[in-house]
Amino acid sequence: MNRKLRTFLLVLAAAVWAAATAGCAAMSVKPWDRDLMAQKSMTFRPVPHEIAVDEHIYFSKEGSLGGMTTDGGGCGCN
Amino acid sequence: MQLTAAGRPSALRSRLGAAACLLLAAGLPAAARADTPAPAPTWQFDTSGLLYGEAKRTAVLEPTARITRSFQNGQSLSGAFTVDAITGASPSGALPSGRVQTTTTPSGNVKTVQADQVPTSRFNDLRGATDLSWKVPFLRYFTATLGGHLSREKDYQSTGANGQLSVDVYHRLFTFTVGGGRNSDLVFPIHGTPVGMLDTLVMQDVARNGKHVTTRMVGLSHVMTRRWLAGVYASQTNEDGYLTEPYKVISLIDPATGYTNGQLTELRPNTRLRRDVMASSVYHFDRDVLYLSYRYYWDDWGVKSHTLDARWRKPLADGSWVQPHLRIYTQTAADFFRFGILQGDPLPPYATSDERLGPLHDVTIGATYGFHVEPWRGEWTIRGEFLEQWGDGHPASAVGAQRNINLFPPVGVGSLVVGYTVGY
Repeated sequence: MNRKLRTFLLVLAAAVWAAATAGCAAMSVKPWDRDLMAQKSMTFRPVPHEIAVDEHIYFSKEGSLGGMTTDGGGCGCN
Repeated sequence: MQLTAAGRPSALRSRLGAAACLLLAAGLPAAARADTPAPAPTWQFDTSGLLYGEAKRTAVLEPTARITRSFQNGQSLSGAFTVDAITGASPSGALPSGRVQTTTTPSGNVKTVQADQVPTSRFNDLRGATDLSWKVPFLRYFTATLGGHLSREKDYQSTGANGQLSVDVYHRLFTFTVGGGRNSDLVFPIHGTPVGMLDTLVMQDVARNGKHVTTRMVGLSHVMTRRWLAGVYASQTNEDGYLTEPYKVISLIDPATGYTNGQLTELRPNTRLRRDVMASSVYHFDRDVLYLSYRYYWDDWGVKSHTLDARWRKPLADGSWVQPHLRIYTQTAADFFRFGILQGDPLPPYATSDERLGPLHDVTIGATYGFHVEPWRGEWTIRGEFLEQWGDGHPASAVGAQRNINLFPPVGVGSLVVGYTVGY
């Protein structure tokens, strides 16, 4: 494993650990307190077809990609 | 008898309402989901149409349809079909010059570009794409998603498969996700494969060029409070094979005058390692919802970028809503990006003038309006956005007449998306 990959994994592990420990204080969110979380709008991708369109547009106009999925279809636009 | 106005609902009533919401909770983030009874089988149809236009350049019409079948055991099967009709012109990579430019394309056409204009290449294409996705919950806390896709256009084909595995832990307050995907693509340039860093008319005896893309992703989402959902995701993408843009060129510059004097086909390395980390947040105020995300990206070509995205959903009367959107993006240039090559200088191993690998910035503003129309039971959305992209058009490396020209003029892009979602 090269040094850059090891550093990347360490940083990622630290971020996951920080998020996990920070959340321990919020264990009081019980199932009956999830009325707001149950709403359709409470998701990272509230309008999925718009997100798909955005990913296509930005992929064709910019030099970056990435996000929270692995299902990107190939395109000759970049 | 004096009737009193309805006051705030009692705690018991609020909690009964919350329990009812839980029964309807399909499609929400796994971390936000509580144990729910098995739902009845349902169908969901999603359709959308994109109209996209760049000023004096590319125009795109993209209709998409997706159908999803959800089963009683919690599994769901989804298929989507997309068509892209693309026409217009795209920057060739050649630089504007202080005088009229005349070039010959691989097909033998002679093109004339006016002074100070960015040279472009005209094109038309029709792309068809389909993808399938199968979601399988198992062992109470796990969800696996398997997918595949196929797309084909005039000079490009992509096939791929992907998978994700999520597990809910700590009373479903946390969801860990790991995933991976693999694309196997083919590039077959229309007039043959040009040889990089040589005159654009020099072709090699290769009709189909392979390209492989492997993606790995890991993420964690968490119900922070009753109102707040947050997550952090990281991914790594390895690309290998033919990564050059076969239609992009790089201008040869006369070092004395700054005028263009010929052009070469660009050439990029045949491997690329991309990484990104993304943090997302959804916060529910009393009525409104705020979506924020930030992504940091870097790769071994030297491109680094920051992306900040904000959406604010505001409910209106009769179930409609409006959602303004702001996105800010900035990136550094790839190590081998350059505004042309000076004649007489040794040729670098790799070079591109593709603005998408240059030092660019863009801002997107827009808004979505969601509404219902009787007698249709589904939800309509309509979104209009405008993207402005610009770069450093007066680099220190400019010589002669180049100093008086904006080598990276701003580009404006407008888009309109209409969507309709309905479930049965």
